Amino acid sequence: MIIDAHGHLGSWFAFAIPDSSTESLVRVMDSCGVTTMCVSHLLAIGPDARAGNALLLKEIERFPGRFLGYAVYDPHDPEAAERTADLLAMPGVIGLKLHPDTHEHPLDGPGYQRAFELAAEHDCIVLAHGMFGSPWCGPDRFATVAARHPSVELLMGHAGLFPAGFPAAAEVAVQHPNVTLELCGSRMTARHLAWLVETVGADRMAFGSDALFLDLRVGLGRVQLAPISAADRDQLLFGTMTRLLEARR
Amino acid sequence: MRVIDVNRIVGPVPTGDVPSNDAPGLLGELDRLAIDAACVVHSHDLYYNPTAAAALPADPRLIRVPVVVPGPLGSTASAKLVRMCPTEHRFPLTGPHGLAAARELSECGTSVLLTLENLGEIHRLATEVPALRIVLINTGYRSLRELADLMDVHPEVRVDTSTLCGHLHVEWIAERYGAHRVLFGTGAPVTDDAGPRFQLDHLELPAADVELIAGGNVLELLG
Repeated sequence: MIIDAHGHLGSWFAFAIPDSSTESLVRVMDSCGVTTMCVSHLLAIGPDARAGNALLLKEIERFPGRFLGYAVYDPHDPEAAERTADLLAMPGVIGLKLHPDTHEHPLDGPGYQRAFELAAEHDCIVLAHGMFGSPWCGPDRFATVAARHPSVELLMGHAGLFPAGFPAAAEVAVQHPNVTLELCGSRMTARHLAWLVETVGADRMAFGSDALFLDLRVGLGRVQLAPISAADRDQLLFGTMTRLLEARR
Repeated sequence: MRVIDVNRIVGPVPTGDVPSNDAPGLLGELDRLAIDAACVVHSHDLYYNPTAAAALPADPRLIRVPVVVPGPLGSTASAKLVRMCPTEHRFPLTGPHGLAAARELSECGTSVLLTLENLGEIHRLATEVPALRIVLINTGYRSLRELADLMDVHPEVRVDTSTLCGHLHVEWIAERYGAHRVLFGTGAPVTDDAGPRFQLDHLELPAADVELIAGGNVLELLG
């Protein structure tokens, strides 16, 4: 069993995804043993959270058992709290996706306050895009919201994204037990991943691929072939996400 | 299937302590990932003095890739595969010296590794020296439209898989342009080697195409 903590459905404007069908993603999942992918819809991250979240629900239903959903919370939508509360009650929706860089709103800003309150009320996971050096979602902002909302399990997407940011991301995870590092990103290497395991512990990290934004096989291979122990590999591939998901049932 | 990494660095790098600090360390990494051989640029040639080839112990699994810098302050090399780094080594790729070096390489049947940085410059180079065999490396996952612009009109332009990590991008390139124009590479240790290696084993392509990508194409370039 492999659980992918960070995936997407849909397409994206900034580069070509020649086949952005969910079918193609499921096919690749099958070819490399990914049982379940936790996904948000790229339309929701981009211009239209309402329409994108609706598409997310349809795709979860269309592929039973393959996807768990993060509803995207748009900090600029005055009705986001009500709409998101409804989504969190839907089958298969496990949490919220926040993308401070796209929405140009700081992770610890007022627009996301209600999102974290909802996550606490519904006992759900929050996956937020994290990027070292970003004015919106650097590791320091994760530290702020983790301390502010200690009951919310917060996944730091990309573990800071850039190698220069991995130490800062690790420090936040060490200091805040409710922060888990999610490992996808084009700048991550197996060597970086092994360093993070040694520094933070595999139980505080989870495999994610960013597919179909990125190639699932590349992200998965980074974990499968990393110089880490078999036990740590299993922890990354399913142990950590299993714990987070089962705690929320 | 022979697996040969077309894009690898040996030697210490300024951004971290890496196993491939020396040749034995690199060979250990290749063994761990079931990579049979690698085309290697020495880190001193990349990040210290590109005009003085650093010493590297001879090993049949490590295929030396010299760095070429055009012009009177540069260096040439006699090899089947070289690397040019116009951004790092600060020279104009399609200036008079750059084009002269490219023509010389082409006439010698030498192929060149080039980072995809300036689309216009590479387009001009491939137009001015159409027989030069170019392998674009470190292209990134956002570059598929740019790659299509080049590969549609320049048949001698190829691409490596080091950071060609968008969803099914390798398959799209191989199906549109032919697997003979895709080469397995990693860019390690600067970029990841484990991901591209795993991807190679899980491509949605016929076995013959995968063999070309894994090593057949680079062996053809190396003669």
